[in-house]
Amino acid sequence: MGNRFTRAFDNDWIGPALVSLIAVVVISIFQPSFLSSFNILVLLSAIAVNMLIALGQLVIIAVGQMNLALGSIGGLVAISFAAMMELWHLPAPVAVLGGLAIGVAAGAASGFVIARTGISAFIITLAGLQIFKGINLGITEAQPFYGIPQVVKDFGNLAMAGPIPWLVLPMVLAALGMWALFNRLRIGRFILAIGGNRNAAELSGIDLNATVIWAHALSGLLAAIAGMMLVARLQIGHPAIGEDWLISSFAAPVIGGAVLSGGHVSVAGTFFGVVIIAIITQALVLFAIDPFVVQIVLGGLILWAVGINRLREVRVARARA
Amino acid sequence: MMAAAAETPEAAATGGPTSIQKLLFSNEFGLVVLVLLAFLVFGGMLPGYTSPFSLFAMGRQIGIDTMIGLAMMAVIVTGGLDLSVGAIGVSSAMAFGWLVEHQGLPLALAIPGALVFGGLLGAINGYAVVRSGVHSFIITLASMSIFFGVMIFLTKAEAFRGLPPEVAAFGRLRLATGTSVLLAVSLATCIALSVFYRFTILGRRMLAAGANARAAEVSGVRTGRVFVACHALTGALAAAAGLMLTARTGAAVPSMAGQLGQDWLLPAFLAPVLGGTLLSGGRVAVVGTLLGAAFVNVITSGLLQLRIGEFWIQACLGLMLLAAVLADRGRHLILRRRGLI
Repeated sequence: MGNRFTRAFDNDWIGPALVSLIAVVVISIFQPSFLSSFNILVLLSAIAVNMLIALGQLVIIAVGQMNLALGSIGGLVAISFAAMMELWHLPAPVAVLGGLAIGVAAGAASGFVIARTGISAFIITLAGLQIFKGINLGITEAQPFYGIPQVVKDFGNLAMAGPIPWLVLPMVLAALGMWALFNRLRIGRFILAIGGNRNAAELSGIDLNATVIWAHALSGLLAAIAGMMLVARLQIGHPAIGEDWLISSFAAPVIGGAVLSGGHVSVAGTFFGVVIIAIITQALVLFAIDPFVVQIVLGGLILWAVGINRLREVRVARARA
Repeated sequence: MMAAAAETPEAAATGGPTSIQKLLFSNEFGLVVLVLLAFLVFGGMLPGYTSPFSLFAMGRQIGIDTMIGLAMMAVIVTGGLDLSVGAIGVSSAMAFGWLVEHQGLPLALAIPGALVFGGLLGAINGYAVVRSGVHSFIITLASMSIFFGVMIFLTKAEAFRGLPPEVAAFGRLRLATGTSVLLAVSLATCIALSVFYRFTILGRRMLAAGANARAAEVSGVRTGRVFVACHALTGALAAAAGLMLTARTGAAVPSMAGQLGQDWLLPAFLAPVLGGTLLSGGRVAVVGTLLGAAFVNVITSGLLQLRIGEFWIQACLGLMLLAAVLADRGRHLILRRRGLI
């Protein structure tokens, strides 16, 4: 038993939270405009969208799988959402419901094939990535939709209060929902149980197939919300939405202490993972550093976080022994 | 490996499958039938399909896709995977361009240089996977981002277009029968890899360690080193694929495998999986990978000439991967039920 101080560090989110705080302080010393109200607005908008993307991957990591199709589902929903408003002139709330339905259906379809065939989620979601992306490009022919209603554009760009954008609202709801899922709801505990030990979960009577399908449907739902938030923020339905989600969707949960073999995830840790990535990306822009360096930094962050998580696992194992 | 196991006397005594049956039920035979069928159907429907130019272009693409598939196959043997094949391939092609254009190296030195460079990048992946014990998915996800980012940073995203004319001439070269020389390169690589996995100690150790790492370790194989070698082989083959693409384009272009090299992922998995490589490791299908790449391109080029739209082809390829794994699963179930495997 360590003292209170070291035990606090066994929490998943304390480390990333401290890193975020230090990063904010250091950067704002060198670049005071970092804490300007406009910059905070931009930062929070990026965090909000990326949190949804990370949560979409988190639920699949929890069940011990991976979802390569996350970005292509988000992209398909984004252009469908825009197309419903531009071509069919549907009111925004109806289009949102349509987008959510497409996301859930796409996710559930992946989950169904994975659960029923037992083929690795990697291969099925790689096929899904191509299929959803192909449908996206087939519909759009790589041209964006521009006819986005003003109310949607406002939601993606205006502030709710002070420097807090409206986009933070879906993020807070989704994060609270996911926290409740993993800590309070039966289905969330089933997901973690399967990720932790598949055989034990099956022996204790959990319906593996149904739970895996639920997890993928939920992942599709979160990807759909993220895709539509990006349409609101960019003010166009761009077919390239979702292409660059893969790396960051894994980076944030891993920085937040998620165990990649499943069974252990942290919503709060993931949030601070998203914050760290957003701060670093912003800082590179503020200091006018080549944007391609972001890729290198993201890759490095994943390796660093994996290393930290390994060290903690070793320490926990030793403490138990 | 599996074929060798089935030829034991016990199998013969209990009325196991004959060698003819085994051939008919093999992945490779099924693929040959499918390739021929698709070729005949499209050839009958489309007059331009069997034109010399169409056949040349198809053969060239089959050559490149086969090499990409072999690169992934070499690491699937370990039960892992390598998301960074595209990034390694492009980085090696760019290294090749740099060696030729800025260092003035002759091609005879620059080509092996690029292959070794790719092998080194692969070995870095392998070392990180073996030492950390983290799944290769997450390690290569990170290294894909790092390799590609460093490459773009160093090249400033600019292509090497001043390569010697021999490079582009090689990409256009036709053999006596009108097929692309790139297809011949891949065929030669397939033969070399078949020999490597069947007759060399390292190749056999790779299969043994991939099938059952603990058993291999107990029988004296240093599985860590073998796995690093698998990743290095993947890197070298990815570099070869990058060089072939460079020969086709006549220039080393940073965007030739898409964002982070992700465009290679589908061909990289499609060909080996269609060909019957086990994703859990321990079994390779070298010829199957070639046939898988051939099948994909026979279909793709047919669909392209039918003008169903370039964009829908991507969705078709995804469906094909899905159909391939489902068909494979179904075939296994049927064969097992009949006691044929």
